[in-house]
Amino acid sequence: MIDSKEISVKGIKVEKTEVGEQAVPKEIERFNVIFRIQHVIMLVTFLLLAFTGWALKYPEIEPSKWWVRIWGGPETAGIIHRTAGLTMLADFVWHVIYLGYLFAKGMRIRAVTTIIPIPKDIADVIKNYMYFLGISKEKPRFGRFSYIHKFDYWAVFWGMGIIGISGFVLAFPVFSSQFFPKAALGWLWPMMMILHSDEALLAIVFILFWHFFNEHLKWGKFPMSWTWITGKVTADYMKHEHPLEYEKMFGKEGD
Amino acid sequence: MRRVLSFTPVCLLVPLLVLLWASAARASGDCLICHSAMHGAVKDAKGETVQVHLDAEAFTKSVHGSLECTNCHMSFTSGPHKPPEGGTTPEVAALLPYTRLKAKVDPVALAACSQCHPGIYKEVRESIHGEGIFKKKQSDPPLCLDCHGNPHYIVAKTDPKSPVNFANVLETCGRCHNNEEVAKKYGMSGHVIEKYKESFHGKKYILGDKKVPICNTCHGAHMIMAVAAPGSPVMGQAKLATCGRCHKGATEKFVAAPVHKYIGKENPIPFYGEKLLILLVFGVFGFTVSHVILESWAEIRDNIFRKSGKGGPHD
Repeated sequence: MIDSKEISVKGIKVEKTEVGEQAVPKEIERFNVIFRIQHVIMLVTFLLLAFTGWALKYPEIEPSKWWVRIWGGPETAGIIHRTAGLTMLADFVWHVIYLGYLFAKGMRIRAVTTIIPIPKDIADVIKNYMYFLGISKEKPRFGRFSYIHKFDYWAVFWGMGIIGISGFVLAFPVFSSQFFPKAALGWLWPMMMILHSDEALLAIVFILFWHFFNEHLKWGKFPMSWTWITGKVTADYMKHEHPLEYEKMFGKEGD
Repeated sequence: MRRVLSFTPVCLLVPLLVLLWASAARASGDCLICHSAMHGAVKDAKGETVQVHLDAEAFTKSVHGSLECTNCHMSFTSGPHKPPEGGTTPEVAALLPYTRLKAKVDPVALAACSQCHPGIYKEVRESIHGEGIFKKKQSDPPLCLDCHGNPHYIVAKTDPKSPVNFANVLETCGRCHNNEEVAKKYGMSGHVIEKYKESFHGKKYILGDKKVPICNTCHGAHMIMAVAAPGSPVMGQAKLATCGRCHKGATEKFVAAPVHKYIGKENPIPFYGEKLLILLVFGVFGFTVSHVILESWAEIRDNIFRKSGKGGPHD
């Protein structure tokens, strides 16, 4: 019997898996406990940020006023928002450091398992649209991360860069102002406010449509994919959703 | 509901008035007996409309409720009453040419504020608003009542009904500063109120935060100055101190942040930057929504209409 954890570790670390040599377990660990904790922190802080920040986007409408009262009034909501924001930033930093640690331990970038966008992803988008529209009968075959996952993942990086930095600046304006170049003062301040507000809206809309659909509403996933808690997917699921990764681990005939 | 009466119908009340008048000494109560009962308005000798009604209860509850009417109404320039003895003081008389710009009916009463509030009156005279009235003889800039409301019912600023209460300041200042005509006439930005409401301070204010700065927090109230005037609290080093009251250690770079500045094409990065971001939002929105809708359609098709196996080509 092969411990599922070991396989997952091999899935990330080992450059060449013995194709077709391994017995296929029932479940495979997709995300280890550290990734799962990072995701839970991200999830909780994201919701808190969205909830406490939302009223500021459209303060003049009546629902915003009662909504912010639910969160303890504008002052308390502000404290929750800043605390959640800092926690999320810390979570993100932890994630990046952890990735660095994994690389140091020998994690390699390979086309089938990487989260980094590659040309194949663009081809997959086109293939998938063609499949949706019925033009093609063939679904694109994904590796460990499909372009859908990659989009979801890098959106967080984009969000952390844009919303995280502007949010930090807005939360600690006096401290942050010392890093502003003098020549940029005229536009940097208004830009920070615009960026934070517009990109936050983008993030919420994105999560609502992209992440919610893909992880909650997709056929067979409702009410949600439980991988975020268990970290595991079934071998069958993997075979269907991540055929290239499956083949890399167990070989084409693996069953 | 406002009825403009001529003097004649009002005179019908005279028998009643005389009866009451004779019965007591001349105190506020005497005036109020009639003026709280009377309704409507009359025209005085100059053709100005005079409201004759006074809500006695609201007046007595106001901060000036213990004053005699004649403390402010020192003389009557017209009307049916005998002016009180003593008449106007020289200080009040000196202000009349200016208060006439603002008060058509009783400029004496408007000038009388200076009797009890000399310090504040002096501040107002030296302010940008006072400069308009006392130097340029303009009638638009505000004097006491434009901000504090009806003189008979002035309440403490802590009262939510006060026009200078925290909750009402924006609206009160906005009567001129959010008025395009006034802004144009005096070369002011007509966007300050609207832009303030879009700012972080303004948004929190609208949501009910009680600690955010409002107009007078930074600009002051009676001694208000032009932004660039010497001694202005929102210019140069003084701005550091003003912002620093809440933002400890405010620096030059910090106070450069716009508070309620209108961002136009003259500041292209945020101006076009915002438009670009909206484009990005809609771009991403378009992609995700179309993807989700099409994929849902494909899943329904595969799982319900095509029902061959589980749906994918991998089955």
